[in-house]
Parts: sequence; C-alpha cells; structure tokens
Amino acid sequence: MIGSFLRGLRRNQAMLLMVLPGAVWFLCFSYLPLVGTVAAFKQYRFSRRGFLYSLLHSQNVGWDNFKFLFSTDTAWIITRNTLLYNIAFIFLGLVCSVAMAILLSELTNKKMAKVYQTGMFLPYFLSWVIVGYFAFSFLSMDRGLLNHMLSAFGAKPLQWYSNPAYWPYILVFVYLWKSVGYSSVVYLASILGIDRSLYEAAMIDGASKWQQVRSITIPLLKPIVIIMTLLAVGKIFYADFGLFYEVPRDSGTLYSVTNVIDTYVYRGLKTTGEIGMSTAAGLYQSVVGFVLVMISNYVVRRIDKDSALF
Amino acid sequence: MADDFRRRAYRQMSNKKRFGMALSVFAALALVLTACGGSGGSDNAASPASSSGSASASVSESADGGKPVNLIWYTIGTPQKDVDKVMAEVSKYTLKKINATVTMKMIDWGDYQQKMQVLVASGEPMDIIFTSAGGFDYVQNARKGAFLQIDDLLDKYGQGIKNAIDPAFLSGTKVDGHNYGIPANKELPQQWVWRFNKNVADKYHLDIKGVRSLESLEPLLKTVKENDPTITPFVMTKDFVPYVPYDYLITNMPLAVKLDSTDYKVIDILETDEMKQALETMHKYYTAGYIAPEAATTGSTTDLERAGKWLLDMAQTQPLADNLWSASYGYPVVSTPASDPIITNTSVQGSIMAISANSEHPEKAMEFLNLLNTDPVLRNMVDSGIEGVHYQMIGKNRMKNLPESKNYDMPSYSLGNNMILYLNENDPDDKWEQFKKFNASGIPSPILGFNFDSTKVASEMAAVQNVKEQFWSSLMTGTVDPDTYLPKAIQQFKDAGLDKIIAEAQSQLDAWVAANKKQ
Amino acid sequence: MSNVQRSGVKTRTRNFQQITAGWNVVINLIAGLFAFLCVFPFLFVAIISFTDEKTLATDGYRIIPAKWSLGAYRYVFQTGDMLLRSYGVTILVTVIGTIVSLVMISLYAYAISRRSFAYRRFFSLYAVFTMLFSGGMIPTYIVVTQLLHLKNSIWALILPLAMNAFYVMILRTFYQTSVPEAIIESGKIDGAGEFLIFLRLVLPLSLPGLATIGLFSTLGYWNDWFNALLYIDDPNKVPLQSMLMRIESSMQFIQQNSANSPISLAVLQSLPQDTARMAMVVLATVPIIFAYPFFQRYFVQGLTVGSVKE
Repeated sequence: MIGSFLRGLRRNQAMLLMVLPGAVWFLCFSYLPLVGTVAAFKQYRFSRRGFLYSLLHSQNVGWDNFKFLFSTDTAWIITRNTLLYNIAFIFLGLVCSVAMAILLSELTNKKMAKVYQTGMFLPYFLSWVIVGYFAFSFLSMDRGLLNHMLSAFGAKPLQWYSNPAYWPYILVFVYLWKSVGYSSVVYLASILGIDRSLYEAAMIDGASKWQQVRSITIPLLKPIVIIMTLLAVGKIFYADFGLFYEVPRDSGTLYSVTNVIDTYVYRGLKTTGEIGMSTAAGLYQSVVGFVLVMISNYVVRRIDKDSALF
Repeated sequence: MADDFRRRAYRQMSNKKRFGMALSVFAALALVLTACGGSGGSDNAASPASSSGSASASVSESADGGKPVNLIWYTIGTPQKDVDKVMAEVSKYTLKKINATVTMKMIDWGDYQQKMQVLVASGEPMDIIFTSAGGFDYVQNARKGAFLQIDDLLDKYGQGIKNAIDPAFLSGTKVDGHNYGIPANKELPQQWVWRFNKNVADKYHLDIKGVRSLESLEPLLKTVKENDPTITPFVMTKDFVPYVPYDYLITNMPLAVKLDSTDYKVIDILETDEMKQALETMHKYYTAGYIAPEAATTGSTTDLERAGKWLLDMAQTQPLADNLWSASYGYPVVSTPASDPIITNTSVQGSIMAISANSEHPEKAMEFLNLLNTDPVLRNMVDSGIEGVHYQMIGKNRMKNLPESKNYDMPSYSLGNNMILYLNENDPDDKWEQFKKFNASGIPSPILGFNFDSTKVASEMAAVQNVKEQFWSSLMTGTVDPDTYLPKAIQQFKDAGLDKIIAEAQSQLDAWVAANKKQ
Repeated sequence: MSNVQRSGVKTRTRNFQQITAGWNVVINLIAGLFAFLCVFPFLFVAIISFTDEKTLATDGYRIIPAKWSLGAYRYVFQTGDMLLRSYGVTILVTVIGTIVSLVMISLYAYAISRRSFAYRRFFSLYAVFTMLFSGGMIPTYIVVTQLLHLKNSIWALILPLAMNAFYVMILRTFYQTSVPEAIIESGKIDGAGEFLIFLRLVLPLSLPGLATIGLFSTLGYWNDWFNALLYIDDPNKVPLQSMLMRIESSMQFIQQNSANSPISLAVLQSLPQDTARMAMVVLATVPIIFAYPFFQRYFVQGLTVGSVKE
C-alpha cells in the first residue's frame, strides 16, 4: 500500500512540485493559525507565557460563547438580514456583472470600452467611510440632494436615516455600484477567451446577435459563473462590515434592516471585548458557509463533474 | 498547422524539463529561506531594540554594579520622528538615576486598541503600557491578565507616586481591590458645562448666568431660533446624554446608581423619573427645531463649531478650558456649570500607565514610573523633548516650544503626572493651583472604585449592547417621541436580559460595599 | 459546429460580427451612464480636495467651490520625504508582491486544473477550506513574527497576501476553459515535460486569466494597510495607505492639542481636515488607476484555439 502511494507520488511529482509553494504558504498562513479557533470554547485570558499557553490554560466554557448569537430575537433578525442580503447580492451581482461584461465586449469602439471599464473600477478604491459621506450628501434630511429634488417636485422631504423601508434597496444599489466594475473584469476576461470562430460559425448559420449571446457566450461562461457562485456561497454568512455600518451611519432606527452578523458582533463586544466570543462568531460563520459549500458542491458535481469546486 | 505551432514552442526540450523542476523547488526554497532570514528584520523575541539605536545594548555597566535594564514602553500617539533621539537623552538621565534605559514605542491613535491586543496576546516583551477607560480598556484588560498587580511594588518603590498624586486617583483605579496602574495626575473629577458661542450670545443679549438645568436653556434656544434660522441652537453628536444625577456602572450602558444614593441600588436609567423628564425636554427641543435633524447619526460637530454657527453645547470641562476652546476655535467661548464636579471611575481612568504582566523587570519599571511622576526634569523631557532643541526655558518654570518641536509633539495627558510640567507661554502662574483646587472640589461617586465584572453575563451584555446602539442615540437626542419609544426601549432591554445583568451587578455591588465601605 | 477551418492566426476584420449601430448607441449609453455614476463621486472627492477648507464650513460640499486652494495638498506634502518614501515602499511591495503572487498562484492553479493530477481534488479542497476558515489576527501575527521572524520586514507586507484561494479557483477555471486538453496532449506526444508545457503552451493561452489575477493582486497590495499596522514599526518601511492614515490622525490630534502646539493660531484654524482627507484619497488612488489599462493590454483573445481539430 505504501508502495503504491509512493509510486503515485512519483508519477505526479511535477504537479506536486507546482503546488508546493502555494501549499506551504497555506500551511503557514492559513492552517497553522487555525489553532486560534480553540478560543471560541474558552474564556480567553492573557498569560505571561504567550498565546498558546493562554489558549491551553484559559477556562473551558463549552458552547457559552456562542449563546449570544442565538439567544434573542435580534439574533434571528441579523441572521435573516445577512442571508437575504447575500442572496440578493450574489444573484443580482452575477446578473449585473455578466450583463455589463457582455455589453462591454460588444462595443464597437474598443477605446471607449476601455475608458468605461477603467471608470467602473473607481468605486472599488473608495473606502466605505467615503462612500458613507456620499450617501449622506444624497440622503441628508436638510442638505441632501434627494430631498432637494423631492421638494422641487412638491413632495415632502423624507428622513432617510430614520426610515427602514428604503434601506434594503439603497444598500443593494450601493453594493452593486461598488462591486460590478470589479466583478465584471473576471467575466470579461472569460469572454475574451471564447473562440471567435464559434461566433463566425453561428453568424454563417444565420443567428442574430442576441441568439449568439444566448447560445454561445452564456453557456461558455457557465464554468466561471458556477465557480464564482460557489465561492460566494461559502461567504454567505459574512457581510461586508463597512457597507452595513458606514453607509447607514450607524443609525439605530435602521437596525432592523441594516444589522447583520458582523455588525451585531462588533456592537455587542465593544464593551466587553471577549476574544472568545468574537472567535465563536467567526467560527459559526465559517461552519455554516462550509456546510453550504459542501452541499452545493455535491449538487454541482452530480450535474457536471468538471464544474464543481472540488 | 498545429505542428508548426508546437515545433515553434519547444526549442530546447530536455534542458527545459529540468528548468521547470528547479523553478518550483527554488520557489519553495525561497519561501523557507525568507522565513529563516527575514531581510534584516529584528527578531522580536531577542532584542527589543527599535529601528535606530536604543541605548541599551552598547551601554557599559554603570556605577551601581548591576547590568542596566532596558524598559520597553508602549504608548499612544502618532509616532514622532524624534522619539528615539529623545529617548536616548532620557536613557542617559535614567541610567544615572535608576540604572535603566528606556525605549518608547508609539502606536497611532486609531490602531492602538487593536495592535495592543495583538501584541499583548502574542506575548510580546514589554514593560510599561498606556491604558485608559476606552483606549485598550484598563479594567477589561486588567481582568484579562494583561497587567501586573502593583500593590506591593507601589509600597516598595512607588512612595514618590503616592505622595505626588491625588490619593483619589489611586483608590479610584482599584480593580477588584488591587491597583494595576498609575493614573496620570491631572484633572480628577468630571464636570459638565454648557458652552456658549459668546458672539451669538452677546448678539441676542442672552443671560448665560441663569442657566443650569436642561429646561433653563429654553428661552435662550427660542430666541436664537426665532432670530436666525441659519444657526443651530443646540449642537450635539450622537453620543450626547442629558445630564442626570446618576453614575453609570459602565459608560453608555443603562445601569446606574444615584449619586446621592445611600442604598447602592442599581437601576435601569431609562426607568428613572429624571431621565424620563430629560428625554421629554429633549424631544420638545427637537420638534421645535433647536437640534439638528440628524443629530442621532452625527459623529463630529467640529466643522459646525469652527464655522461659528451654533449657540450652545455640552462638554466636559477642566480648569482654563474656556481659554483652550477659545484658542482652538478662534472666537470666545464661555461656559457655565451644568453639573457638580463628580469623581467617577471614568474620570480617574482617563490615562493610566500599567506594568505588563510579562515584564521581566517590574521593580525597575516601578522605579521608573516613580521617577517620571516626581522628577520634573524627566517628566518634561519625556513631554517636550530636548531642551535647546525642541523647547527653551523662558522663565523659572516656563517653557516655549521651538520650531523643532513639530518632530516631537506628544500627548501630555498620557505620559504621567501633568502637574510637574512646565507652564506654557500663555498659561497663568497659578495653573496647577487651579487644577488642585478643581480636584479638591470633586465629590466622589458612591461607586467610585467599583468595577462591574460582566463575565458571567457576557451573552446578555452583547445583546443589551445591540439594543443600546439601536435606541440610545435617537432617544437621547430627542429625535423620537419618548412616549412611544421609551417603553419600547425598556421592554427591548428587558428582553435582551438587562434584568439579569442588573441582578448580577447588584450582588457584586453589595459585596463590594460590605467589604469597602465602613459606614 | 467547427467544420469551418480558417487559415492564419491574425485577427480578422470583424465587420460582419459587429452589432448594429443602433444597439451600439444604446449600449454606449448604458455603459457610459454606469461608468459616469462610478466616476462622479471620485471626481467630487477630487474637487473637494482642491477646495478651500473654510468655504467647506460655510457652503458645505460644492461641485464648484467658492474658493479653490492647494492647502490640503500642501499640508499633506509637508511631511515631505516620509510621504515619498511610503510611495516607494508601496510600489516596491506591489510590484514584487504581484510577481510572487502570480508565480505561486498560476503554478498551483495549473496543477489542480489538470485532470491527470491524482491529488487535484485534495488540493482544491485544501485551498478552498482556507477561504472559509480563519484563525484570527492573533495566531496569524504569531506565525508571522515568531515563526517566520518577519517583523519589520518588507516581506511581512508581501507574503501574507501572496496566495489567495479565490484567485486560485478563478485561474483554475480559466485554465480549464481556455486551454483545451488537446493542446496539452499534443505537447506530451512531443515529449515535453509538465513544466515546459506549462510555460510554453499554457501560459500564452491563458493571458486574460493571468491578467485578471495580476490586476486583482496588484490592487490588493496597493490598498493594504492592515499588514503594516500589525507588522511594521520602522518608519522607513511604512506603506502609503498607513502613512496617509497617520497623517490624518495626527491632524486630528493637533487640532485637539492646540494649546500646546507651536503652530500659529491662524494656521491651526485653517487646518485642512476634510479637504486633506479627500486629498489623501486622491493621492492614494490616482497612481493605481493606471494599473487597469496596464493589465488591459493582456486581455487579448487566446491564440489559435481554433487551430485545434476537435
């Protein structure tokens, strides 16, 4: 048995060498630090003798550190918010990024396309704090642009930061605005990898542009779309902290629609700073994402083995 | 066609095969080598030397026989260019006095909390740590074991400190009965005042003297609002809390004890009559337009205040504060008291220097702290730099900053006993006397020295904290109607477990009272 | 479908493949509008950075400021050589980092894209797992400083970002879709080793994918401030983003500490707070905007994929 294993190693030695640097990196920077997750089950206290010692000797508290994630109604609200937003982001993000990539690839003037693409990238560079300022300049009660326009049309100005009803739309819009430019690059690069002769053949067969897109471009984008979606599913319990904290300006009245797991944990642990509890929250998010990825991956594997993550 | 391509592609076949192998192996090796080497980066486990020469390694043995000790001091503030230069001078001085040298490491304001947590948790060598209620929280981290208990050290090496600083500082910063750090001797109590933009107040002939309570502000606010709609009468940020005569067990959490309480009862502040009335007044002001519509989400009002478009706000004062404010805004600011000066846990924990639990030289660290808090030469060197380079003396006890001082601009409040600092150019002679008087006028809060340990109710704390973030600002700034929202908030707090927290706090408080108060 | 075989590998004139003029206008409008939406806030930020600070307080943010001023930039540049050095550090880290990252990621992704690699599933999962689980800041800090001894080293800014499972999976998909198995088979038939096939055959075909990952990698390195926060104390090794954040916080401190400050009163009052903040965003972003056009050049169609007979 050992013999066949060693033979297998020899046969694959080139490939193994290729993965070696990356694998060593993952070992050092990702797997070794996983030791820290033990803190989720402990009441972490500092010790003279360093981190490992503290981990081993801090008091074991079982599942206590996880309680705050489930104990109140709010806990379920944040879970719901996180899930729903992420589902919206994944789905809408996908549709918009792919659509934008297709549009850009079809533009006649390639130079203009490049200009547009560079422009679309810019929101990626603005931090959420700055995006928050902008949102404020639009939504501010007395000085915001939106309210100015509303009163110009004779409608009553709204207190945007106190009314939860509009925020799901606002947040989804802001998210798309910030991420479509970045994500569409991946799809654009994929489209460029598609064999042009396929399009020519379809053209000759009399297919219209739209039909070409539908039967060539989109199917050939399937692999990358599936991978991107599977990877996004893994992060489904994680929310972009900046988006949900800075853009609504941490306004309490909006919490029912803007509080997500990450902001809940941040707010809850501000006073006590329990490391065990924040680690527990992270572990919770990871495990859920992991389970979901495993399930989705399994489903994808059944349909098309090559498209799966692993 | 494909053949052409492939033939073009492979020129030297067999050599390249080896090459590829080597590339991969090399990459892996490089990784490992980097790990062992690290381009000249200091191995932090061994020498604690910072980038440009600390005085430690090369110093020869000094007169009193033992090898000199190097103390590592972590403090808050944007790292200044001349820190090492100044510390070299400081080390020369401390070498003579206590046979120790000092290396100071500064960590920027925004980074301090996070970085210190990582450094302490990873066992990084350090001796002295800056901490405060809020900046790498003192109580929290003392309980987590980051700091050394210094009761005995204080007695043995810290007599100077005990004499120099106000005793209320030391008794107020006890955690579970023990001291874990040396507070900075500065203003002791906290007192709220109403600050007024004098220009606006004078323009409308407003009577400032008669103002004390929240309600008494009304006529002033009304006048300004009627006469000039571009001015915000009552300015506040989302952290505003109207003053009520209670002390909070934890800042910004609703657990409180009445200031003149004799029964030490812990209550939910939202259920008190005083708070209810204050919130109603705030809502009245809000609906009347005296408060900015988005006060509940405003983080900073400096822009508004610098533009001068305001009448009043509430702030914490210290002696000579009016001068400070007027100087920084460029127009006169006056203030009148809104509360008595109360000594609370927060007010004494504003700036503390703790000794790290993993310090190798705790005695030397205490000796140094003792020296820092009693010796004006050392204290001023640490604060202002090198005489003649960064500052010059213009009087017996007075100094003036030189242009070089921009390379060594330090936050005085975090570096020890303020009252032995030299006076600045524009300070009155009796500056520190004023401070002492202010400190003496402070009334201790009934729970001064009691620090609630929330470990048993950690989950409830997290839930309650979220409820607080949700309701607090909009209630306190008057944005929402307390008639509807106050009961809602109270209920939500209860649902989140506030009662359990109050019960736990009460039992801890009762035990503390029994042990400490000789009534 | 591909019974059409053409000779020559030059890009063909694709008149017959282009969309109609009408659609072109529509697409231009859509893409242009979105690009404008993305660029506008950034332009606004730039305008604010050239505004006189005092007029901000009186007029608020204006598209056409009442008074222009270079005060914000003057303030930021007065740190002089420190700022220039931080630019240098960031550029160095970004260039080296992107190269290291591309090498490691492309090798790893290629290996797991090959069906002949017996352990591909294992290493795919090995990578994806790291995306889902994290040990936290403290254990990672310990690995970097105590195990790898990288404190205060440039490598502490480069290595922690070198591998990224997300990029690995994207690149793997690119390899799978744009490099037909046939090409690799033909390489093997000619007796080439794995590395040779990779270097000579695969890399040229996967340029768009490499360019995408290269771009993402560059952006990641450029924007990183967190690693500097944790690992760099040496003022000569502080990268750009950290430096700018320090300038901002010291500005706030000076404002609050005005009584002791040697700076004159007049200067203190005109201390550019918001304008300097915006100036810093501009300074941090403008250089990197050029990264996109740089990588854009490699977004070219794969070569001669059509030359393979299916």
